Amino acid sequence: MEALANLIHGFNIAISPFNLMIAAFGIFLGVIIGVIPGLGGTSGVAILLPLTFTMPTTSAIVFLSCIYWGALFGGAITSILFNIPGEPWSVATMFDGYPMAKQGKAGQALACAFVPGFFSALLSVILFTFFAPPLAKLALRFGPAENFAVLTLAFSTFTGLGGGSPAKTIASACVGFLLASVGLDIVTGRPRLNFGSITLLSGFSFITASIGLFGIGEILLAAEEALEFKGVQGKIGLKDVWVTIRTLGRNFVTWIIGTILGFWIGVMPGTGATPASFMSYGIAKQYSKHPEKFGTGVPEGVIATESAAHAAGIGALLPLITLGIPGSPTAAVILGGLYIWGLQPGPMLFIEQKDFVWGFIASMYIGNVMGVLFCLCMVPVFAAILKVPYAILTPLIVLLSSIGAYAVKNTTLDIWLLLLYGLIGYIFKKLKYPLAPLVIALVLGDMTEEALRQSLILSGGSLTFFLQRPIAAGFLLLTIFLFLLPTIRPLAARVGRTFRAEEAKKAGEG
Amino acid sequence: MRTLKKAEIICAVALLAVAGVGFVEAIRLGSGWGPSGPQAGFFPFWLSVILGLCSVMILVKAIRMDPGLKGDKKPFVTKTQLKPVLAVFLPMAAAVPLIEVIGFYLMSALYLAFFMRWMGRHSWPAVFAISLLFPVATFLILERWFLIPMPKGMFGEYLPF
Repeated sequence: MEALANLIHGFNIAISPFNLMIAAFGIFLGVIIGVIPGLGGTSGVAILLPLTFTMPTTSAIVFLSCIYWGALFGGAITSILFNIPGEPWSVATMFDGYPMAKQGKAGQALACAFVPGFFSALLSVILFTFFAPPLAKLALRFGPAENFAVLTLAFSTFTGLGGGSPAKTIASACVGFLLASVGLDIVTGRPRLNFGSITLLSGFSFITASIGLFGIGEILLAAEEALEFKGVQGKIGLKDVWVTIRTLGRNFVTWIIGTILGFWIGVMPGTGATPASFMSYGIAKQYSKHPEKFGTGVPEGVIATESAAHAAGIGALLPLITLGIPGSPTAAVILGGLYIWGLQPGPMLFIEQKDFVWGFIASMYIGNVMGVLFCLCMVPVFAAILKVPYAILTPLIVLLSSIGAYAVKNTTLDIWLLLLYGLIGYIFKKLKYPLAPLVIALVLGDMTEEALRQSLILSGGSLTFFLQRPIAAGFLLLTIFLFLLPTIRPLAARVGRTFRAEEAKKAGEG
Repeated sequence: MRTLKKAEIICAVALLAVAGVGFVEAIRLGSGWGPSGPQAGFFPFWLSVILGLCSVMILVKAIRMDPGLKGDKKPFVTKTQLKPVLAVFLPMAAAVPLIEVIGFYLMSALYLAFFMRWMGRHSWPAVFAISLLFPVATFLILERWFLIPMPKGMFGEYLPF
């Protein structure tokens, strides 16, 4: 019940006129970012991060998180009306959303994205409200060994659940860690890896990296396809909302599985809304009574995808605020923001920055209500953004990106780096190197190194130290399991197949 | 045109080079145990070792890519794809040095105008309107409201933008 009292206190902070205005502004910008293909939530939040430098910390996190919620809502509009993903997490929304729109049910498809998405966001925020304090309390007992174990767990989820090539995933994380170690050594203060350059002493900024890798990289990738937006008209009537609520009642199981799965995947560090949406779509299809109809325009497809994406977005901020570990690439950018605002992310926030934490949690309720109302009422307005020609939109995104990169440290070097990161992002995406581990390693690099070195100092250099601490040992075992998962999985699948084949043979004989 | 296989190999070699640079630097800094615990090069040392191992694995896999099958013949980018990518990338690359010379606001006006006219073939009035509106709007928002000074280039002493 203590959480409830804190939440009420948080609402008092979040509904101050300035914070409400900031939230509405954030949602509005977020939906626009969500709608524009080639401008993702991660780079969008990074571009707008410098705007928060002059804000009070609570308003700053309300602003950034509301951009995230807005982008989660906005991506669906482009997917359903234009058959182009506005965000990576709304790719699976296209599968059934666009066919529905072509059948003249655009309004219903949009309502199927927004209404269940909103309800799953709401359920996730409630879970967040009651899970966060005990988790933070547990994390308060963590020493450097536990912190290091949790951090390695964060990176093992990339290889275990990311689905890409494990070597490429680990390589990408290592590059991020190496970039993070450029500058002054955090323990001894010695300059390292700067090769005599004074500019490099302050290290590489993760903001430039995330804007370049995700933003500019995506623009280059999108250029290949020479985008042309030909959309279906869509407007949501009250009838569409009503029909959706009735469909939601019938598809309650799909919705609740999507939400719980999405929340869990969101909490798992590094994965976020995109894999959650695909997994939820896959599960909904597998357990449906009519899997063959998926892809032809069934509402369940949209409901499954969107509910998981929204739940994952909120879940991703749970480890961020309680442990200081981001649950998704976008959360990593918000984490970087916390450092810049002078806050130490992690469980101490719940003790030292009560107003900040609870104001932020309360704003999640408000932000998602605003998001769903904005989207339900203003779909035609947001869809009109895509009428802006490509030759105007592209240079505008590039210019906004360079402002975002420059404003971090006020050096033009960051704009040059932006260009380089853009090229790397493009090449990495084409060769299927995952980008999220790189950015997250860049944000978490110092923290990981500090945790490892401190635990080694405490143990006098012995690695068995980790095994003597039960929580750390448990996390490390899970880490090893996840790192080995890509090797185990094909093996298990092969065993399963031979087993089933033999059974089939026996059944045939019998 | 470069094949996917070649691109994979080049990328893996580049990563190996990054690992090599990190390794040499880590050795120089000392990667072992010093008077205050692990030395400055300790963390970079192990990262370069892991990165090196991973890039060798990627390299071996890329070299072994089936030569007769599509892996070898599959292009990294086709010609029709490369053209629009360069059309976006080159003006961007050309605009960055301009920032140092004429400042961010003048550069953004020129860059927008060039891109709109050359790529989009928009009418001159539209080109003028957008390429003037954007710098003015960003100037007001950044310098007045959020107090973020953008680079002004060589005219910075005489002009406010």
